[in-house]
Amino acid sequence: MRQSSSSWRLLILAALLPILVLVAIDVSLDNNSHPESFKRFGNAVLTSYIIVGLILIGNLFFYADSRHRPSAPFVGMFFALAIGMLIGWALISQGDLLLEANSGLRAQMLSNVVHLLVSGTAMLVASLLAVGFTFAAITGRERRILFEEE
Amino acid sequence: MNPMLEAALWFWIPLCLIPVGIWFTISGKTKSLGKVIALSGLILVMISSWTVPDSDSSAGGHLILSIIAPTLLLAYGIHGMVFGGNVPVGRLDSSARWSGTIAVFVSIGIFCLMHWYSFTPVWRNGEVNPYWIVFWPTFLLFSTSLCSASSVALATYGDDRFTESMKLASLSILMTGISLAAMIFDGYLTTADQFRDYLWLSAADIFGTVVGGSLAIGALAVVIWSYEKSLPIPQSSPPPTDEEIEHVVSLATSHIGGEEE
Repeated sequence: MRQSSSSWRLLILAALLPILVLVAIDVSLDNNSHPESFKRFGNAVLTSYIIVGLILIGNLFFYADSRHRPSAPFVGMFFALAIGMLIGWALISQGDLLLEANSGLRAQMLSNVVHLLVSGTAMLVASLLAVGFTFAAITGRERRILFEEE
Repeated sequence: MNPMLEAALWFWIPLCLIPVGIWFTISGKTKSLGKVIALSGLILVMISSWTVPDSDSSAGGHLILSIIAPTLLLAYGIHGMVFGGNVPVGRLDSSARWSGTIAVFVSIGIFCLMHWYSFTPVWRNGEVNPYWIVFWPTFLLFSTSLCSASSVALATYGDDRFTESMKLASLSILMTGISLAAMIFDGYLTTADQFRDYLWLSAADIFGTVVGGSLAIGALAVVIWSYEKSLPIPQSSPPPTDEEIEHVVSLATSHIGGEEE
């Protein structure tokens, strides 16, 4: 059990380390952080929460045939999503807190969705490369003889 | 026509059609219709820079159109690399592995040329597509991170997978090298300063998207768990009758046979 949890930590560290190294080099070159980073992080959290929530509600609907489409999970998920939307609306409306180079609330929300579309596509293409290359590396090895006949 | 209505008609509704089509396809009820809906939505989003040129959102569709060719080449290459190897089903000719590897590296090369050469996606008035500088650092950062994680996963969980792990680590180092080059050398239409600025924003984007998505999945898990918990405990079924036991025993005996040596 201990070995398993340490492997997970190692895996998370391996995923985070390259990003942190590149950002650290970036800081050392420019000697400062980007002032809009927090806004981008906040907008990305809220937008992906709402979009992924909507996709999950769609899945609830399309996969609920065998359960006679119970309404309780729908109501619960709509409620969770409504809270996310309310928080998003409240934070973006708060002047300079999450508003980036956009004219207002509606422009910021639409820009967030397109931004997520682009960054999500980038992550999808990167996943295709990494996962595909992993499988290619696994299947590339010659088949090994597991048991020798006596 | 009202510009907002035009944008809704030619960009936002087609964008919504993509997940709807995917849902139909996955649910298995109307697979072909789902594929048609999703594909039509994707095509309409990609050509939105012609259908609604005044909408700023159409830059997103234009970027997807610009990267579709190297992405398809990458997918083709990955398919060849995976199925050209030792797979039990759907195995391709061994040359597919080499052609696949070449296709993958050519597609990465095309992405590099899109940054450093004249292939950069140009949107309005000869200016670079504003989302290119969002896509490129995010792709580089995320692929570096995922390749590194995959490399460690192969070495940790796999049995004698050191060579394969090293291949993935090399790819991660290659992507890091490309990122460093973009941080130092100016692109064709973008500067190294801009790239460094957007690297920060990409890191924020990746962490934000992962956190937001995880929160949504967590919310769904809580909703489903609380719903399942509220359901009454299912009643136990009555024990089998003598006739049912006899039937089961006769079935079992008819399938168990063989003579003693």
